[in-house]
Amino acid sequence: TTGDVEDEVQQQAKSAEDRKAATALASLDSNGDDAASSGAHVDQEAVSKAMKNLGSAAVEKEVKKVKVDPADVALLVDELDLTKAKATELLKAHDGDAVQAMRAFIAVSF
Amino acid sequence: MPQPLSTKENSLFRQVIRYYEDKQYKRGLKAAEQILKKNPKHGDTMAMKALIMNQQGKTDEAFALGKEALTADMKSHICWHVYGLLYRHQKNFEEAMKAYKFALKLEPDSHQIQRDLAFLQIQMRDYQGYIQSRTSMLQARSQVRQNWTALAVAHHLAGDLSQAEKVLTTYEDSLKSSPSRTDYENSEAVMYKNSIIAEMGDYQRALDHLESIAKYNLDRLAVLEMRAEYLANLKKKDEAIKAYRALLDRNPEHPEYYNKLMDVMGLDANDQSARKAIYDEYAKKNPRCDGAKRLPLDFLTGDAFREAAKKYLTLMLDKGVPSTFANFKHLYVDSSKKDTLGSLAQEYLDAKRTSGDTSSSNGDALKGEPAGLYFLAQHFNYHLSRDLAKAMEFVNKGIELVPDSVEFHMTKARIWKHYGNTQKASETMEQARNLDLKDRYTNTKAAKYQLRNNESDNALKTMALFTKNDTPGGPISDLLDMQSVWYLTEDGEASVRNGNIGLALKRFHAVYDIFDVWQEDQFDFHSFSLRKGQIRAYVDMIRWEDHIREHPFYTRAALGAIAAYLGMYDSKQMVNGVNGSADASGDEAAEKKKAAKKARKEAQKVEREAAEKAAKQDPNKAKGAAAEPVKKDDDPNGLRLAATTEPLVVATKFLAHILEFSPKNIDGQVAGFEVYLRREKYLLALRCLTAAQAIDASNPAVHEQAVRFRQVLNSKLSSLPSKVADVAKSDFTAIDAS
Amino acid sequence: MDIRRLEARDIPLIQHANLENLPENYFMKYYLYHALSWPQLSYVAVDVSRPKKTPYDYPKIVGYVLAKMEEEPADGVQHGHITSLSVMRTHRRLGIAEKLMRQAQLAMVETFGAQYVSLHVRVSNKAAIHLYTKTLGFDNEKSEAKYYADGEDAYCMRLELSAIRNQIQEAAEAEEEEGNVNDGD
Repeated sequence: TTGDVEDEVQQQAKSAEDRKAATALASLDSNGDDAASSGAHVDQEAVSKAMKNLGSAAVEKEVKKVKVDPADVALLVDELDLTKAKATELLKAHDGDAVQAMRAFIAVSF
Repeated sequence: MPQPLSTKENSLFRQVIRYYEDKQYKRGLKAAEQILKKNPKHGDTMAMKALIMNQQGKTDEAFALGKEALTADMKSHICWHVYGLLYRHQKNFEEAMKAYKFALKLEPDSHQIQRDLAFLQIQMRDYQGYIQSRTSMLQARSQVRQNWTALAVAHHLAGDLSQAEKVLTTYEDSLKSSPSRTDYENSEAVMYKNSIIAEMGDYQRALDHLESIAKYNLDRLAVLEMRAEYLANLKKKDEAIKAYRALLDRNPEHPEYYNKLMDVMGLDANDQSARKAIYDEYAKKNPRCDGAKRLPLDFLTGDAFREAAKKYLTLMLDKGVPSTFANFKHLYVDSSKKDTLGSLAQEYLDAKRTSGDTSSSNGDALKGEPAGLYFLAQHFNYHLSRDLAKAMEFVNKGIELVPDSVEFHMTKARIWKHYGNTQKASETMEQARNLDLKDRYTNTKAAKYQLRNNESDNALKTMALFTKNDTPGGPISDLLDMQSVWYLTEDGEASVRNGNIGLALKRFHAVYDIFDVWQEDQFDFHSFSLRKGQIRAYVDMIRWEDHIREHPFYTRAALGAIAAYLGMYDSKQMVNGVNGSADASGDEAAEKKKAAKKARKEAQKVEREAAEKAAKQDPNKAKGAAAEPVKKDDDPNGLRLAATTEPLVVATKFLAHILEFSPKNIDGQVAGFEVYLRREKYLLALRCLTAAQAIDASNPAVHEQAVRFRQVLNSKLSSLPSKVADVAKSDFTAIDAS
Repeated sequence: MDIRRLEARDIPLIQHANLENLPENYFMKYYLYHALSWPQLSYVAVDVSRPKKTPYDYPKIVGYVLAKMEEEPADGVQHGHITSLSVMRTHRRLGIAEKLMRQAQLAMVETFGAQYVSLHVRVSNKAAIHLYTKTLGFDNEKSEAKYYADGEDAYCMRLELSAIRNQIQEAAEAEEEEGNVNDGD
């Protein structure tokens, strides 16, 4: 077989076109981003004031408190090919009623 | 806490990092070894060594070392960061994210870790996490515009439009002086903001905002299009008319502009002559415009249609436009238009014949009489007006007249295809190819027809005339590199027909993997697009990537794979089962053995050739910036894929994406039923069946499946968990229990 | 036929058209790189008369121009570059390539202030050379030996975009004037 792959060897691109593409793509993930950008026009004071107003508006989703039977979770995981988390979520959305949860899952949704 | 190092080793460690960043892996490794000689349990160095090894393709060793590094120094953010990067490389994004979060806890000010985490969050569409990351990145560097834009994008993608707008406005308000006219970043940022306002449905505000930024905006077309749209939505009739006319002046080949123009003018959809007049106006203004002449044929009827069609058809055939038929065929659903077009073409042909004008065909264009023949051959080859004998007659006359015409030969091949004669079709397409050896389009068609005729080897040879064959692994590697989905799919389907299931699976899996790559491809753009400032295009890309696997390219290959896996499963059942007919399966087994042997031989040949090529390669050549080491394919013929003991599990992997992204594709639902029924997941089978019925209740496959489901249910119902039985009983009503 | 700007969702079928038509091919990321760096510059021609087969059919691309701005121009002059242009054999003689090129050229000037546009073409590709030189007015600058992977030479061509620049200028002035007249009312 071919033995160890020589490292640090770039596959030499065959044509000028390919080299161009390779160079362009190699530069995509370069890290030299935001630091260089212009900051000169910004009023620093106004910015810091504004920052305070942004606050995190993230609203925690309300979680319904529903008891679910672990046996039902296992049943849904098995019958519907779901992860445990998804099965639990589905059951909770149907007040822990496994039959309703499964019926909803297999109903046509388009 | 990082473990302390001596000054000398500290600077060595910094070198390791630099070498890694510069992709000088060998040097980096050497420096790392030097440190480890004195400090064998230095976590950070071990971690960096692992990272470098990972880049060199030694992923397993790297991972082991990365773990070791972490045990050596649990409190090091570098160790955690590297651990995350290793997971990231393995595409285990969940674990990578966890590791980054640990690292960030240890080193909250690390810009690099925060970035890595943020990009993974958006890649995974963890919008809330991304908003958090972007907020802290903005707090760290609030003077940089792209950090503001990024936070706005985060809110936008999370669906919070007004918060997105607020962030953008906040930045604008903090500007001391207005940006220059040629500041592209600014030009795009204000257009992005405008598109958000419009997305909220507030067209008046969107219009006002647009007018305030329009004059010096650099994206002129977007300004014109958005303005026209807002005016139309706001029912500002006169201005909207003007706006759409301006757009038509720019590009009269965009049908939507005509439609919108007539909408805002309030033209009655049935007022054919008023509508035609609009198109005529633009046809006159732009003599070389096609759309203005062709589009009225869509709505004109009766004599008006005949007259316009005749004029257009004559013009096209006189010019020798090869797509003339292709541009008409959608009209064939209207049978009177179909008949009119057929007779107009015949009239055209007759007229050209009597005039004896043969000078009209020059060069490679088919004009005059040949053009008429070409049109009629396609007309009678089309499924709505099919008469293959007539089609053949016209095409043969055409070949007589212009013996070296690629177009006539291609059409003849297509006629053979419709006859079901894939052999003749392939041969004829090969003749067409030989008439223009420099044309890849004809080459592609020839290869495709060979594949349809199950000539996999010949097809690859044909393709090889245009691929880069010095790619290690030969033409097929180039086709894989260039993501030639059509070829892989067709070759997969041909391999199924040839009984070479391994190769078929190989090809279908290759398409599956290409879609993985396409999904992964967006990763670099999370930072790149902000740097470039192209925000609308980025958001457009993100939204498209969200459902990239709905593409028919995916569905077709996936359906091929699923069918192959089902076949594998069923034939195994047959062999194992009591009912298995010994003769049939014996034949099949022999056939399979033969195919497998052939595949093995070929694999050896490819391996040999690759080894030879590698041996010839000068190891001193081509040193430069490192790329990922090339991985050798150790299962080129898919023998291992075909040897799976869990065909239904793999089939489900292909199936899941179809059901998620293309639920209205009936073939997907039908295939889903088959997979789930065999896996005894009756509710999921029922789900597919119900969906298929909703799509097309009259589909015979669906009916057959319903009958089969009833039978299975009758025999299995008592053994099912009671809740499952309840659901099946209440939700399966298509066929009565008897 | 529909001629319009390229959108991300068009890319698989652009790549497909490129693979069908030309020997120089690229992976999807390179198309994305164009679409996300200079979204204004690339155009597609779509076959709008194609009947849909499934609800998930994508617009059939029969021609495209993939264009960019030169990132670090050696001559220091802002200019555009045509990375790839092709039209399906079945859809030739409708002027699609020309129309795609004209839209791209206009956008190069408007959006990125391009002074000229450059491209490479195979020395044997008579039809393309005719389009560039005769129809669009490109000048053949020089040839580059063995530019293509199969060893063929390329012509390097360029077109000054001053005519478009002047047109834009005139239009802007006319608009200004019209604005003034309206203001006077």
